[in-house]
Amino acid sequence: MRRYLLGRLWQSAVTLLLATIVVFLGVRALPGDPALALAGEDRDPESLRAIREQYGLDDSLLVQFWQFVSHAVRGDLGTSIRTGESVTGMLRGALPVTLELSMLAIAVAGLVGVGAGVIAAVYRGRPAEWAANALALLGLSVPNFWLGLMAILYLSVAMGLFPASGFVPFFEDPIANLHHLVLPALILGTGLAAVIMRQTRSSMLDALSADYIRTAEAKGLPSSAVIGRHALRNSLIVVVTIVGLQLGALISGAVVTERIFALPGFGKLTVDAVFQRDYPVIQAVVLVTATAYIVINLLVDLLYSVIDPRIRVRGEA
Amino acid sequence: MFRRTPSPLNRSSWRRTAPPAALLALVLAATACSPVQSNDAQTGGDQAGSSTQDVFGDAADPAQVKPGGTLTVALSADPDKLDPTLSRSLYSRYVFHTMCEKLYDLGPDAKIVPQLATALPTVAADGLSLTIPLREGVKFADGATMDSAAVKTSIERGLTLAGSGRKSELGPISAVETPDPKTVVIKLSKPFAPLTAALADRAGMVLSPAAVAKLGANFSTAPVCVGPFKFASRVAQNSIKVVKDPQYYDAAKVHLDAIEYRIITDSSIRSANLRSGDAQIADSLSTQDAPELQKDSSMSVLQSQSLGYQGLTVNVGNAEGIGKPVKQLDTPIAKDPRVRQALEASIDREALVKSIFNGLNTVACSPISPKSEFTSEAVQSCPAHDPAKAKELLGQAGVSTPYKVEMITSNNPDSLRLAQALQAMVKEGGFELVIKPVEYASLLDQQDRGDFELLQLGWSGRVDPDANIFNFVGSGGSQNVAGYNSPEVDKLLTDARQSQDKAERIKLYGDVVTKLQQDDPLIYLYRQRNLTGVSKKVLGVQTYPDGVIRTAFAGFAK
Repeated sequence: MRRYLLGRLWQSAVTLLLATIVVFLGVRALPGDPALALAGEDRDPESLRAIREQYGLDDSLLVQFWQFVSHAVRGDLGTSIRTGESVTGMLRGALPVTLELSMLAIAVAGLVGVGAGVIAAVYRGRPAEWAANALALLGLSVPNFWLGLMAILYLSVAMGLFPASGFVPFFEDPIANLHHLVLPALILGTGLAAVIMRQTRSSMLDALSADYIRTAEAKGLPSSAVIGRHALRNSLIVVVTIVGLQLGALISGAVVTERIFALPGFGKLTVDAVFQRDYPVIQAVVLVTATAYIVINLLVDLLYSVIDPRIRVRGEA
Repeated sequence: MFRRTPSPLNRSSWRRTAPPAALLALVLAATACSPVQSNDAQTGGDQAGSSTQDVFGDAADPAQVKPGGTLTVALSADPDKLDPTLSRSLYSRYVFHTMCEKLYDLGPDAKIVPQLATALPTVAADGLSLTIPLREGVKFADGATMDSAAVKTSIERGLTLAGSGRKSELGPISAVETPDPKTVVIKLSKPFAPLTAALADRAGMVLSPAAVAKLGANFSTAPVCVGPFKFASRVAQNSIKVVKDPQYYDAAKVHLDAIEYRIITDSSIRSANLRSGDAQIADSLSTQDAPELQKDSSMSVLQSQSLGYQGLTVNVGNAEGIGKPVKQLDTPIAKDPRVRQALEASIDREALVKSIFNGLNTVACSPISPKSEFTSEAVQSCPAHDPAKAKELLGQAGVSTPYKVEMITSNNPDSLRLAQALQAMVKEGGFELVIKPVEYASLLDQQDRGDFELLQLGWSGRVDPDANIFNFVGSGGSQNVAGYNSPEVDKLLTDARQSQDKAERIKLYGDVVTKLQQDDPLIYLYRQRNLTGVSKKVLGVQTYPDGVIRTAFAGFAK
């Protein structure tokens, strides 16, 4: 096991290094020049030279890469070319916002998706199922940004129910925090809710026709217990897997949602950094994302063998 | 919000084409040039007139304003560094005006007025020294006293700090002297008329020497200056907050407790935030959204005509990239001014402004706004829209029609709408315009590398005309991406820059424009109108021709 663990750690380190090289070269392959993007209107050759020199943009790629990696391993991701702020500080501010938004979106999607899925399965072939299916189709087809705009126009502007923009940190004012996040979470959760609904429905249909359900019904259990405790519980395993697989989509959806609602999250940070060619920030966000993926994958692989002893780790089979 | 530039022929090709060009210019002057109609619209009284009148907003009446409250401003772009020396984005000026006052400011009439100075500078007869008297009893947000030494520190920082965006604005300053705490004397190595205007912008902001000493190049993380408000916090890419500074010398005039700038890049979402009440002010409204807000009785829309312009730059000599010697491009449009004149003649600016921008923007045929103190009949004259003449010019130039030209433009909706309208328009004049939309950062890169034939971009504008012309069409100008090179224009511009006589400068700029309209390295199209949506719950919000929204002395209505 120890040998396996060391092997996996080594693999992860190599993957991370490769990811670092790819992102480092990738941002520099983008057309556009950070010095120009920063200089904007007030540029003259001297200022451009000074900016390039200040941020080491005129050093060789090898020197720049070494600077980046050697600082990154010490936890220093550099300073933003645009605002002069510490990138680590910017990430520290942005990550919790996106995490909270994603959690809430998953909660919304889970509640709506599972609820609608169960209704669709139980009332199969009846208007309730058609309605649930139609909703799911809408949820999948309507793009986030349009839905966001409509929500702002109707729920914020016309009815004044929710704020159209802004963010209050949770620990400053939990109520205001949730009030600001309801709309973005609903919008972000819509697509996921549709996926969950469809998955729940099909798993529920399978479960409802299984022998153990017939047995439960034969024993005289009330239908709420049959559906809730037996059929749904067994169906949820697949649903949970699907939610996991959709996390990536959720994060990319957050990019759009955060921009629409002016939330200071990770997605907005990433997109703005790309538009402004803010190399240190782009590198940092990709590096953090890559690290998260690698760590999660590693943990999942390790968990498999813990959860199911039949899955033997390599070298011990 | 964007910037940019100009162009034509390199020296040798200029000599080759000069005689026919001059002849043509003469013909044009006699037949085609007419003064552009007054942009003021005060003369109009018709429908279009009412929508193009400037609305600057009024100062708040203290009796109608209640103290306190946080004002939320929806900003269309994230300001860059909050350091007056290093800042380069237009949007940082919106924030600076609340927390970093300047030696001079701009009035609603685009005239320069004293702010931290007490009078306009006294210029020595030889133009080589400016004496500036300072306001007394003024404190920085950190409690220190503002004096001539602080001004000296700030100006010298602008001249020497690595990456300073102020160096070229400050010009040929040789020394800053402080004969006493309330007087600053700026010495120049040669006369530089645009300096006073520069001191009415970021170059004239006075920084706390203590904060500069403590933070150095990181001043932007906790800026300290003199202002009605002081810096409180910034959330990256998202918001900036300033709070009332009780030490401000005119604190009684400040009503709000705080101002939060919230970055919302999409214009329709900015408008929605204004209407939902989440923001009380939204800048840079789209000309599509503004008419809707104008109809809303709870909103007002402030309008001021920009001092800048939007235009088309023709690449005539920028073959190798900016900063490299100009080299004539081997295309008809680069080589022959008649082809560029034909392009200009095929554009109907009036129709463009009406159809694309709801009549909210105004026609521009030169880099000098009719609002400028330096305007004249010559700078406002405008070559007429004449597609038949365009075809004739193309024929004279020996170009077969339709003549295909490729234009790069920013990929935002407004720019694309403009490009498509141009495409349809110039067809009649014998041009086939191919539109290549490019993302903004790439666009800047392409223009500097000279990798374009035609380019659509604009310049946000400055008070002094020099800052709107010299860099764009002067040889070696840092933004002369057209690669234009005309010794005649260079001489006129240099004379205008060094003259202290306003009438002479006006005459010289008129000559510059006449020459530019013959060579057409840069075809000016229209002047943007800065449109700012303001909720009527807030009083005292003003916008001036420099485009900066003044919120410092605003307050919530009682």
